[in-house]
Amino acid sequence: MVTINIDGKSVEVLEETTILKAAEQAGVWIPTMCHSEHLEPYGVCRLCSVEVVRGKRSRIVTACNFPVRGGMTIHTNSKKVQWLRQVIMELMLSRWPRVRVVKEMAERLAVKEPRFPSLERDEAEDACILCGMCVNMCNDVVKAGVLGFAHSGIKREVVLPFDERSDSCIVCGACAHVCPTGHIKVILEDYRGKKPEFTLGPKTPIYVPTLQAVPRVPVIDAESCIHFETGGCEICAKVCEPNAIDYSMQDEIVEIEVGQVLVSTGFDLFDASAMAQYGYGRLDNVYSSLEFESILNSTGPTGGKIVMKSGKEPKAVGIIHCIGSRDTNHHAYCSRVCCMYALKFAHLVRDRTDAAIYQFYIDMRAFGKGYEEFYNRLLDEGVTMIRGKAAEVVEGCWQGNGEPSLKIRCEDTLIGKFREVPVDMVVLCNAIEPRRDSDAVRRLFSISKSPDGFFLERHPKLDPTSTATEGVFIAGCAQGPKDIPDTVAQAGSAAARILSVIAKGEVEIEPVRAMVQEEYCSGCKICNNLCPYIAIEFLEEKKVSHVNEALCKGCGTCVAACPSSAMTGHGFTDAQILAELDGLMI
Amino acid sequence: MAFEPKIIGFLCNWCSYTGADLAGVSRIKSAPNVRIIRTMCSGRVDPAFILKAFQLGADGVIVMGCHLGDCHYQEGNYKTIRRLPFLRRLVKGFGIDPRRLRLEWVSASEGDKFALLVNEMTEEIRSLGPLKLSVHHEIQQPVAHH
Amino acid sequence: MAYRTYLMVCAGTGCVANQSMKIKDKLESEIRKRGLQDEVSVVTTGCNGFCAVGPLMVVQPDGIFYQLLKETDIPFLVEEHFVKGRLVKELLYTPPREKAPIPKMSDIPFFADQTLIVLRNRGLINPENIDEYIARGGYQALAKVLTLMTPDQVIQEIKASGLRGRGGGGFPTGIKWETCKNVPSDTHYVICNADEGDPGAFMDRSTIESDPHAVIEGMLIGAYAIGSREGYVYIRNEYPIALERLQVAIKQAREYGLLGQKIFNKDFDFEIRIVRGAGAFVCGESTALMASIEGRPGEPRAKYVHTVERGLWDKPTCLNNVETWANVPQIIEKGAGWFSSIGTGDVTSDAWGGSKGTKVFSLAGKVNNTGLIEVPMGITLRKIIFDIGGGIKDGKKFKAVQTGGPSGGFIPESLLDLPVDYEELTKVGSMMGSGGMVVADENNCMVDMAKYFLAFTQAESCGKCVPCREGTKRMLDILEKITVGKGTEEDLVLLEELSNMVVESSLCALGGSAPNPVLTTLKYFREEYEAHVKDKHCPGHSCRELIQYIIDPELCLGKGHGCHVCAKNCPDGAIVGETKQVHTIDVMKCGKCGICYDVCKFDAIHIE
Repeated sequence: MVTINIDGKSVEVLEETTILKAAEQAGVWIPTMCHSEHLEPYGVCRLCSVEVVRGKRSRIVTACNFPVRGGMTIHTNSKKVQWLRQVIMELMLSRWPRVRVVKEMAERLAVKEPRFPSLERDEAEDACILCGMCVNMCNDVVKAGVLGFAHSGIKREVVLPFDERSDSCIVCGACAHVCPTGHIKVILEDYRGKKPEFTLGPKTPIYVPTLQAVPRVPVIDAESCIHFETGGCEICAKVCEPNAIDYSMQDEIVEIEVGQVLVSTGFDLFDASAMAQYGYGRLDNVYSSLEFESILNSTGPTGGKIVMKSGKEPKAVGIIHCIGSRDTNHHAYCSRVCCMYALKFAHLVRDRTDAAIYQFYIDMRAFGKGYEEFYNRLLDEGVTMIRGKAAEVVEGCWQGNGEPSLKIRCEDTLIGKFREVPVDMVVLCNAIEPRRDSDAVRRLFSISKSPDGFFLERHPKLDPTSTATEGVFIAGCAQGPKDIPDTVAQAGSAAARILSVIAKGEVEIEPVRAMVQEEYCSGCKICNNLCPYIAIEFLEEKKVSHVNEALCKGCGTCVAACPSSAMTGHGFTDAQILAELDGLMI
Repeated sequence: MAFEPKIIGFLCNWCSYTGADLAGVSRIKSAPNVRIIRTMCSGRVDPAFILKAFQLGADGVIVMGCHLGDCHYQEGNYKTIRRLPFLRRLVKGFGIDPRRLRLEWVSASEGDKFALLVNEMTEEIRSLGPLKLSVHHEIQQPVAHH
Repeated sequence: MAYRTYLMVCAGTGCVANQSMKIKDKLESEIRKRGLQDEVSVVTTGCNGFCAVGPLMVVQPDGIFYQLLKETDIPFLVEEHFVKGRLVKELLYTPPREKAPIPKMSDIPFFADQTLIVLRNRGLINPENIDEYIARGGYQALAKVLTLMTPDQVIQEIKASGLRGRGGGGFPTGIKWETCKNVPSDTHYVICNADEGDPGAFMDRSTIESDPHAVIEGMLIGAYAIGSREGYVYIRNEYPIALERLQVAIKQAREYGLLGQKIFNKDFDFEIRIVRGAGAFVCGESTALMASIEGRPGEPRAKYVHTVERGLWDKPTCLNNVETWANVPQIIEKGAGWFSSIGTGDVTSDAWGGSKGTKVFSLAGKVNNTGLIEVPMGITLRKIIFDIGGGIKDGKKFKAVQTGGPSGGFIPESLLDLPVDYEELTKVGSMMGSGGMVVADENNCMVDMAKYFLAFTQAESCGKCVPCREGTKRMLDILEKITVGKGTEEDLVLLEELSNMVVESSLCALGGSAPNPVLTTLKYFREEYEAHVKDKHCPGHSCRELIQYIIDPELCLGKGHGCHVCAKNCPDGAIVGETKQVHTIDVMKCGKCGICYDVCKFDAIHIE
């Protein structure tokens, strides 16, 4: 520890502390423009210049990187320092007259009009002020090494390698985050690592998986996180106060023994880019239903404001039903929930903006409790309902205002005419489809699938939540598209079935079982290895095979294989089947 | 009168039988010539049953099971897929056209596939004509202890 | 083999560019023609320094100095001097405005007043032959150091000598070596800064071209003292001949076991690597230079932690200029007492108390004898310019001398008796710098000269810090305004204020010294600035926008009889007049090229 004097105040600090940090301790403000606590001091703006007196010598140094020594006297606001800062500020203000941070600093340092003419090249509000924070962040912290300076002297500028888009850029956004003027724009062209669901805009490698997730704990996508690639960054751990981030965590595989399973793995949203005519993924401001949900959500990317990509409010919104549903080219079934949420969208758009709203539907399926009444309410709210599936979404122009916009082309079947409706924003009602990995999941539990791809229930009317396999139940959209009340009902039903079995304490099983007639068993052991449930064991003392009735599921494979007909299958004995044959051949 | 084939179908309970059910529920029309025996799994089908069926006068036999990987009992249909092709070669030695014995996978949702197979097989057997097996003597019932 | 005569042909870059190698070839062929090849030897040497009169040759052992040689002179010269034994008067050096030539080199004033330490071997040895360097006593100092002295003793000797950095900073070399040595580390580096970026400066180039082994030996001794095993020479890419000579020298030193492992069978290894620059003036700054060696962009960093503590690859590094290294062998050989007896001041109690030894200067500008000189510290500027330099060309009047290159300042006539000394020069606002010295006469515009130097530093600014990058640009803009006649009084105030700010708050010494030419001209030649601003007049008759060429009608008609030569040569067709009549210049058309001024034989045109 050493003692120094800052502006008359005596402060004790660790040796090698910079003057800037020491001043912070003493509560003295020193202006900086190229300094960030995430980075090593760069010392190029020179605004933090202070006067240091040691013995008889006085010199001007930059506070951000000059280490203190015992006995130093520091003047952070002497006449000389003030004058230096003033001239430096004038230089900066004349070069970047409209950049906010420059103007604010100038005001704080009481610099009004610079005595230098503008260079007439950096007049933008988001001009780069060459502070170097983005470069240092990219090279020293994140260690991706993408940004750098090119050209010397007054021509100095921040560039990407060879002015080209760089494959080494991991779109972490650290540079944009630390840039004080907003000069850096992160343009997301494709996601590295896991593609996020329904997230608009750049997704950081550490993110909360869904809006309003419970618990609201973020996860790190190791594939796109730069730390796992270069060992650098670790900014998230640095800012986490309770030190909750542990990069060494590994995936764990946990084994739990259960008797019954409820499979409710939900649905995937149909990817509307398969229908090129609607422009999803190609045109700006065309959103899928879940993307629009995230826009509406107050914890979403826009904080609940309905805005277009440009940040402005739309003047007209078009909502198109049945994208991918009721369509022989994609899914023939109806996704059931879209009509109602489309009406909800319309209601919220009407609530939050002044936009005109157009609804393009085939039928209005308002089947539930209060649904039809809600539909009528929307009609009163002045939503334009156009009965006719929209044919395509194209780029268009509002007459006169010159801003690129969209047009929805459709046939209005009620008036019998083709229409072209100009809108700013299009929301699609994407079909609900089975999960992409539903085949793999269902094989684990021996669940079949129905023709539409959803899990097959035991009986569509009388038993929609069980499956053909005992002890395996399904609920929710995994079984078919449905809305929340129905899902809750199914979930309750399945849970009740499960609980009743648990409560009984015993299970009734089908009596179809295999059994060894020990007198005939020759001990060939062919059946032992056939059983998928390892239900057959060989009794060494008796030299015969034996079936564990609890494990045996009664498939009969061992029965068919037994060469001495020692294995018999209750309910499907050879005699029974042969008798059936007999009967059939009459 | 046109020859109406007699075809025996061994269907596994979980997939193909349910698929056949679905065909019925969906009112898909199909030929009535396939007479169905239900087993729990296609792996239960003993080759002896098939031979007995031919012996008793069936013109064709079709065995249907779950798709590979989908077997309700995990691996039963793998046993079937080992037995049946071998059996087809065997029946040729008995003078039975191997086209009269088919193995097909039908899942619970494939009602239309079931109907298609039924129709197809019926026509094929019809064109092959009735099966004339010369039976010289009464074949003893297989020793069935059960 | 002993020849009776040695022809030392100068093969420094300047003379080579003037075809001195052709002259060498011609000499050899003429000598062979006359069967003299066993008696007369032709040797190529480094730069002799009198570049104004190159290509040149010195005949040894007589010391006869031939200059301004052309290939066509050679047959006659060989015949006359080396066969018949008669000097060729026309090819000897005759001082301007005198009649009699001075045959001996040692009598020529340019050479007579020089004291050679760094350049002691110039013109006397073939730099590509290590044996000649050894024959002149080379590597004796290294032998002494490795066999008789400890590293600490070497450092003490250097400290006592008072040797200070010749790159411009003037930091006491002994203290630098000591500090570097005392930093605990497994690796120490020594670097030779041969980046020499000052325009017009060629001291380091000539040193390496004439005597590269002096530098190598110096580095070896320094490495031993500091405990370094690896050294770098950072040489600018624009010095191909120097680079080649250095490479040859290093190779030969390696062959003789003077570089590599177990030098002189002692526990001392040292290897030198050459790194070439890539055209950036700022890479002469030590931290930018080290960044460049490391492969990073050549940008300086704050020097609050000195490079002797953390330099190249964060290891303690001792960086010295070429000239500094070249002084070291002599100091060891002849002793610190000898070295400190030359120069000014007293360094026994204060290392900054005096300037010891000699300094190499490149004398350029409006003097008669431009070239490379080595003079003892303490010599006056007047002696350098008027005795050694031979005075101002064409009999014009001296105005100012600029020392220290673009980082230095202008010194007016009133201060000409200033001794050459680190502190003295700094006191008047200039600096020693690396040794550039540019002389200006009455026809130089001081504002324009300041602008010239500032334009250089502004273009070479790396752009990292705001004061230098923005400040020098704005300063240059103001100077532009002034030189085209659009300057105001406020501009002068602003210019001075900007200059002082850039000096105080720049990150490195480039910015810290770039305003020096401006500040010194403002101090000593303010009247010129004011003339530009108030009267829109250029007293040096240099700034185009502010001058006019005027034909004196009396001289034109009276002496020239309207000869019309000027009109014929005018590229703008601006001269009006018939032959045998008075001619006038139409100022609207005149492009101020100055051709008419040069061609008029009657001095009838003057500049206002």
